Amino acid sequence: MESPSPAVSAGLQAAPLPVETSTAGYPGIIPERDGAGMSESGQEKQLRLGFLETIEIDGRGHIGGLLVTNHSGRPLEFQCTTPVRPNRTQEILFGETLRPWLLGELIGSTLLERVSIKPGLVITSDPSLLELQNHTTIPVALAEAQNDAAAHSLAGDEAASAAVPATRCVRVGNSLLRFHQGHNRNAESLERQQHLVPESANLQEPLERVREALAETVRTVFSR
Amino acid sequence: MTSSPEADATAADATAADVQTVSVETLSLFSQTPTVSIGQTGFNPALNRAPVPGTVDIPLELRVDYVPAWKPRRIPLKCIGLTLPDGLEFVPEKQPQLKSADGVELRPIRPPRAQPEDAEKQRPERCTRIRPPADALSLQDRLFYLLQPPLESWLAGQELIMPFEPFSYQYEGIAWLFSSQSALLADEMGLGKTMQTITALRLLLRSGQVRRILLCCPKPLIPNWQREFRTWAEELPVVTVEGNGARRQMLWQMPGVPILIANYELVTRDFTEMHEDQQPRFDLVVLDEAQRIKNRDSNTAKVARAIPRRRSWALTGTPIENRPEELGALFEFMQVVPPHGCPDMRQLSRLAGKYILRRTKDLVMQDMPPRIDRDAELPLTSAQEAAYRIAEKEGVIQLNELGDSISVQHVFELVLRLKQITNYDPLTGESAKLERLVADMEEIAASGGKAILFSQWTKTIDWLEPRLRQFNPLIYHGGVPVKRREPILAKFKEDPDAHILLMSYGTGAVGLNLQFAGYVFLFDRWWNPAIEDQAINRAHRIGVRNPVIVTRFISSNTIEERIDRVLREKRELFEAVLGDGSGEPSRSLSLNASEIFGLFDLKARHKDGARSIGPAAVEEEQEAA
Repeated sequence: MESPSPAVSAGLQAAPLPVETSTAGYPGIIPERDGAGMSESGQEKQLRLGFLETIEIDGRGHIGGLLVTNHSGRPLEFQCTTPVRPNRTQEILFGETLRPWLLGELIGSTLLERVSIKPGLVITSDPSLLELQNHTTIPVALAEAQNDAAAHSLAGDEAASAAVPATRCVRVGNSLLRFHQGHNRNAESLERQQHLVPESANLQEPLERVREALAETVRTVFSR
Repeated sequence: MTSSPEADATAADATAADVQTVSVETLSLFSQTPTVSIGQTGFNPALNRAPVPGTVDIPLELRVDYVPAWKPRRIPLKCIGLTLPDGLEFVPEKQPQLKSADGVELRPIRPPRAQPEDAEKQRPERCTRIRPPADALSLQDRLFYLLQPPLESWLAGQELIMPFEPFSYQYEGIAWLFSSQSALLADEMGLGKTMQTITALRLLLRSGQVRRILLCCPKPLIPNWQREFRTWAEELPVVTVEGNGARRQMLWQMPGVPILIANYELVTRDFTEMHEDQQPRFDLVVLDEAQRIKNRDSNTAKVARAIPRRRSWALTGTPIENRPEELGALFEFMQVVPPHGCPDMRQLSRLAGKYILRRTKDLVMQDMPPRIDRDAELPLTSAQEAAYRIAEKEGVIQLNELGDSISVQHVFELVLRLKQITNYDPLTGESAKLERLVADMEEIAASGGKAILFSQWTKTIDWLEPRLRQFNPLIYHGGVPVKRREPILAKFKEDPDAHILLMSYGTGAVGLNLQFAGYVFLFDRWWNPAIEDQAINRAHRIGVRNPVIVTRFISSNTIEERIDRVLREKRELFEAVLGDGSGEPSRSLSLNASEIFGLFDLKARHKDGARSIGPAAVEEEQEAA
């Protein structure tokens, strides 16, 4: 009689994929249960992260991309827009608010509507994209490396601060997240969830992935 | 007709007065004095009636009829989407349930993280990104690779725990494998091909790119792979195909097993017996020690090529064991050349650049302790010398008498006979090599060191064992049952009194990690320098902390010196071929018939004296010389 191999006898089996449930306000955040760190099924609660970036294509306008990852940066879904360029009327009438409207409201909202896996938090590096916060209930935050934030703070970099209409900071992973003025409630909400993202997580890095993916899309599709 | 200016002016005034009168009359319709002067035409008496003024209510317009308008509106945008495949999730380990005496559930807490040293803080963060392969054409395929996180963050702190931090070249290897449909990882022995492969498999499984993998390796290496999987990817379920036919059939068809390990012989036998429709399909087939399929007409090679699969990887430290054409067989398995395709050197070189990743220790492990090679040229003992000379003389005479019927087999037998005598004299048991070995081993054992000895013959190993009793020798060769081999290696590693491991080239040269041994003895020489290097690299590999001293025993004034000379030339050729691909390798790296004949000066009797005999090449070379 052959003895079973060690791996078989260890009883290791592929498990069904865990299903994450959604809440109304924050679709990516699995609701806490009894305040415990581990749910009944043994799976940890997760915070899905959305990384939103735009790039400008010479003469063709802007394209935007939204990457939804799990709490540790593994990609789940990616959406990007076709190029969009404001016309002259829009340029005149929107004036200084053109960029926030174009990037935040138009591109950001479209992408957020299109992703089937909704993030629990949207992170960007472009202050103009914070405008998206006025059109969604999902918290939108501006990521700054802690070193940058400290440098701004020490140098009293008013110009940099003025460009960021954000106020309260929350530390998630190795980044400081700033939120849109008037949406401090989001910061409070995130403070309760920040432990779901590993301390070592680099929230700047996925934004770089989005920029690369957008550049690849431009090269592959829109440059034809 | 003429008119004076005064007359013209009068006429003009009169006309203006008429017009003025009508205008005044018209305007006066709305005045209080409706004095109307009507021309006496007699046709319209109604005009003599006084008009009756009245009022009509006209509602005021709230907005003007036309205003140029513009309203901001959402411009519909098109989107391009990519949903990444789900990866495999595994049953999480059961967390220990901690409860205090009063039944309150306790939760383990972690200590605060240590503050990194200043130097560590300043160290730039390494970032190895996965690049899309050149043959990935669709945007979705390319985005899939681009959107994966850097390997460092994927592996290190977050989801996948690694027992040790990989070296940067290993990260590059993992990323390269991950994005390769067809790949030949040909890193020099000891650089961690196993670990890179396991980690790439792990990432592919976790990212949902593959779900079923077959790993095919030589039978003695199966325990090694099992151990490495436990070390580097403990969560991966691995099943070894073994047992009787019915059990193996069950294992081949068993669903939900991500990784199957099987040896070449079983794969060949089982797939040959299975009908094509019954053959299991794999997302990835990995061939370890892939030089096993270098002969493309062998059953093993045919079966390996026929396994239904999507990706094909090959692993070997010696992609060219004998001649460059062997690469063609590997490329055929990798499905980058058509069946029976024979790429020429230029094509091979181009394919190698695309599908082979090879790094050498010199390039990637500059801080690795060196390997110190030393040749021990030993004169034979008097008994050995006598036996050797008699055997050589008689052997050459017998070969000469064979004349033109001589074959390489005849010469080969003589070579083997002479080599055995250089190891020890079968009559008296005298051995210059043994004397030197014992002397060296006394020093090594006194300092608590460990050594590995390789020989071509199990008979020599068995002969050595009782003579090295004081060093507690362990034996590892093809005669040792597979189940007993792992405990032997474990004992060699853990028992401080076990100072020497006696191994055969055939069994011990590949796949073993023995980097705790600081000394390697080559008791006799193998025919191929690549195999010798594989053997040496059991000890000189990643993780080695001290220099590895390699001692080659060469009996002076014997055939071993001649073999050593040829092997040196071969080694130079080998390095030229695999170093930068610029060599012109047209010859076998093993000793070929010409070279074996060339070890002796063989002459056939001839009516005019004697003439050289052997394969044509020898004669031609001699003539050319």
